[in-house]
Amino acid sequence: MIPTDFEYYLPATISEAVHLYRTLKNHGKKPLYYSGGTEIITFLRLHLIETGAVININAIPECRQNNLIGDSLTLGSSLTLTEIEEANVFPLLSAASAGVADHTSRNKITLGGNICGMIFYREAVLPFLLCDSYCMIAGGDGVRKAPINSLFNKSLQLTEGELLVQIITQKRYLDLPFICIKRRQQWETGYPLVTVAALRNGNEIRVAISGLCPFPFRSAKMEADLNNTKLSLEERIELAFRHLPAPILHDVEGSAEYRLFVLKNTLLEIIPKLEAGAIA
Amino acid sequence: MRVIGKSVGRKDAEEKVTGAAKYTDDYIFNNMLHARVVCSPYAHALINSIDWSKAEKVPGVRSIVTGVGLPLTGEEIRDRSPIAFKKVRYHGEVVALVVADHPAQAAEAASLIEISYTPLPVVNSPRQAFQPDSPLVHEHMEAYEINVNVYPEPHTNVAHRTKIRKGNIEKGRMESDVFVEGSFSFAPSDHAAMETRSCFAEIRPNGDVIITSSSQAPFMIKKLISSYFGVEIGKIIVNTPLVGGAYGGKASVQWEFLAYIAAKSVEGRPVKILYSREEDILTAPVHIGLDATVKLGCTRDGILKSAEILYLFDGGAYADKSPDLSRAAAVDCTGPYHIENIWCDSLCMYTNHPYASPFRGFGHSEVHFAFERTMDMLAKKLKIDPLELRYINAIQPGDTTPTQVLLNKSNVGNVRACIDKLKELMDWNGETKIESGKHTVRTKGVACIWKTSTIDPNASSGVILTFNPDGSVNLMSGVVEIGTGTKTVLAQILAERLRLDYDKIHVKMKVNTQTTPEHWKTVASRGTFMAGRAVLAAADDAILQIKSIASCILRVRVEDLEIDSGKVFVREEPGINLKFEDVVYGYTYPNGNSIGGQIIGRGNYILRHMTYLDADTGAGKPGPEWTVGAQGVEVEYNTINHTYKVVKAYSVIDIGQVLNEKTARGQVMGAMSMGLSFGGRETFYFDQHGRVLNHRLRTYRPLRFGEQPEYAVEFIHTPHMEAAYGARGVGEHGLIGMPAVLGNSLSLAAGVELNHLPLIPEQIWRAKRRPQE
Repeated sequence: MIPTDFEYYLPATISEAVHLYRTLKNHGKKPLYYSGGTEIITFLRLHLIETGAVININAIPECRQNNLIGDSLTLGSSLTLTEIEEANVFPLLSAASAGVADHTSRNKITLGGNICGMIFYREAVLPFLLCDSYCMIAGGDGVRKAPINSLFNKSLQLTEGELLVQIITQKRYLDLPFICIKRRQQWETGYPLVTVAALRNGNEIRVAISGLCPFPFRSAKMEADLNNTKLSLEERIELAFRHLPAPILHDVEGSAEYRLFVLKNTLLEIIPKLEAGAIA
Repeated sequence: MRVIGKSVGRKDAEEKVTGAAKYTDDYIFNNMLHARVVCSPYAHALINSIDWSKAEKVPGVRSIVTGVGLPLTGEEIRDRSPIAFKKVRYHGEVVALVVADHPAQAAEAASLIEISYTPLPVVNSPRQAFQPDSPLVHEHMEAYEINVNVYPEPHTNVAHRTKIRKGNIEKGRMESDVFVEGSFSFAPSDHAAMETRSCFAEIRPNGDVIITSSSQAPFMIKKLISSYFGVEIGKIIVNTPLVGGAYGGKASVQWEFLAYIAAKSVEGRPVKILYSREEDILTAPVHIGLDATVKLGCTRDGILKSAEILYLFDGGAYADKSPDLSRAAAVDCTGPYHIENIWCDSLCMYTNHPYASPFRGFGHSEVHFAFERTMDMLAKKLKIDPLELRYINAIQPGDTTPTQVLLNKSNVGNVRACIDKLKELMDWNGETKIESGKHTVRTKGVACIWKTSTIDPNASSGVILTFNPDGSVNLMSGVVEIGTGTKTVLAQILAERLRLDYDKIHVKMKVNTQTTPEHWKTVASRGTFMAGRAVLAAADDAILQIKSIASCILRVRVEDLEIDSGKVFVREEPGINLKFEDVVYGYTYPNGNSIGGQIIGRGNYILRHMTYLDADTGAGKPGPEWTVGAQGVEVEYNTINHTYKVVKAYSVIDIGQVLNEKTARGQVMGAMSMGLSFGGRETFYFDQHGRVLNHRLRTYRPLRFGEQPEYAVEFIHTPHMEAAYGARGVGEHGLIGMPAVLGNSLSLAAGVELNHLPLIPEQIWRAKRRPQE
């Protein structure tokens, strides 16, 4: 039960949504874009956020797009993770999102919600970081296109009122060899201790990580060390660890020390497999 | 037999599978108000002031209640104000209550109450509570009203101490050649029942107090409300609809006091309280924690000679049922073994943690983890098969228990038969570690279990049967249907005794304390035993009445009559008979003369020869029988990551007689699943200030469907002669050994003693890194 009242809007177009945001903000409503609602509902119930209005973007056709035309795959931000998994056009994304929450929740959780929400694991972003995808961002001046790797720094750097509409990925990345491993505190349920998504582009291995820090990241410096095949794998990982961002999470899921142990083991497992060949 | 042992469909099945079943929160009246609690963010603090000036301005708010002027409550020690007064002693304790027209208004107002606290030093573990210089959770324990058989130690944090002094421990030590000692611990955790606790209460103009609650103990609610609030007991009526999972967590009375207090604050109008998941985890009583030290001594041949045990239970901030929990743990402190010399102190410690209620197994899975882990350590030291060590020491008729009860072939099951069956089922050939992959090994772990009940010695159960004009029967018992299928089993017992079709038995699912005879509490795997005996008594009473009337009509002696398939007939000439429908609702002669009337059968059962435990030695008879069993698990462990998978879990339980095959298996498997979840994952994480960090299902995660192993369940049949058809209690036993078998298999797999729960991979990793002794 959500104890406070709020208004609910269901715009049909991008411009209507962006316009609504600006108007509601000017009226002091602290509006929120809304899609799956799993996080907003929990956080409102627990008084962790407050809002006077939510703008549901599910009726905007662009946000629902899921098509592979020509050289690029366009995924709308209000596609649910289940829809993405079932379509399975982008197997790495399917693998990364299949680890989020549980099936029932993924029927609601959306791509945009997972990436733009407050819960910081944001595992659905990992494949896009690895594939140098592009974001379509709607704002007051219309829709702009920006590379995700320049836009995403801990979280998607949007100015207030901007809306993630779509993410576009080049087709050639979709079939590259990849591995995605999620390690939890125990068994198959729960937030990650570490989620590592990795793919091989030619001879280069790319790695993006969630759960280790209170944000997902992909580090060029770490990748450089991990790809330095002159050294032993242990040495490469050790060097790469010098570039780990801070802080390392230390919470009820696991200690910082243990997370590093798990990350190291996961990399030891992933890299040889990727180097050996194509793995789906 | 007609229906005993058969997997007949449950009487509540259609209701539940269609989602039509009604639980407490499903009932709504149009004049109902709603209460919401304000909880303490501190584990130990003084309350300086409570300011509700903003809250009372919220539209729809009817009243705001604080702890001023409320009576102290608590089943064993009356140490708790239902709403904290002057001081809070655990994170999540109720500090104020808001009543409003709508739940959202109550919640909003609750969020606007401003409370100023002065934090106090916290007692963050039972071990810390036991230190002489520990802060005190209750400074004036001596002022509290204390139940019989509870021994608090004022000016310490000991709420209760049970002493077991069996034989001569010095002699036991002398006779022992080999010793092992282990220390074990785990923090409190939760029950996580699907239905969160809820209740609604109203006070009628004539003074009747009508309460509906999601509870295992409607008759206890009645007694406690009467005793604490001075309401005449006959004026209190408690209803219990179906309960959506309880596991002991709804055997404590807590939210009912709040609903009653709330109703009283609004001139008796009905007020409902529904705990959110977070409140259900934090505010409501929890699963108890334990810190234990077990030292065992045995001869070179592995004959156990001495057991020295210290159990420090984390009873939390208030005693309520935890002195009884620590007592039950003392009663079966050793596992099902014959040991001549036992010294055990089982202490219930006050801490600044959420306080404990019963949890499925009532202290047994907790102490079995400590004891059965020590048994494996001993087997390792002796270099003998751990199952063999258990076999040679297995308790048998003629032996005595830790509280010196002499066992016979009825009051205890057959431990050795369970072990034999388990060996066969697990394909057991000693402790083995098999490489199953490049970095994986498979191991198996075992444990033996036992449990009796330690409920009040005067606990009783009653049953009323009424007949319908078509010859069918209504069965009314005070057992609450908490999901265990007990009412289905009672219907089977009745059908068997009346030799009537199971479909002709109609079961009243809800309990109403005014019209349903009392069943003490639906706890302790005692529903089928006590209510089963009451059903038999009521059936015999009804049969006698049927025969009496029939004897008059048929002009035969009562003794010459039999009943079967809804008819009463002359034994020798079955052609001379009457149908039930012609007798059970009165018989009318052709001229209109009538005799009889509706037949009403009644029966009850009270436990026989139960005693309190002796304060100095623990000697006494706490329960009628011991269900025993042997359990095991096979795990596949990754030697690099320390992750593991539970491959298969096994239980062999001496159930006496299976009453309903599928529900019995369901009970055992469900309990095993809870046990693995408790052993493998569930715990509260506390910060240094005693606050629970994971009181949400996002971070408190019981076992999910899909994570469970394959289950194998078998039964042994040693009848309990006092029970209906010889059946033993089986509601809890599948859980008891699971944490221990997990610990035993993983200790072998990891090559390090794993003595702390939950057994998450990080725990194993830490144990591996610790310098070995």
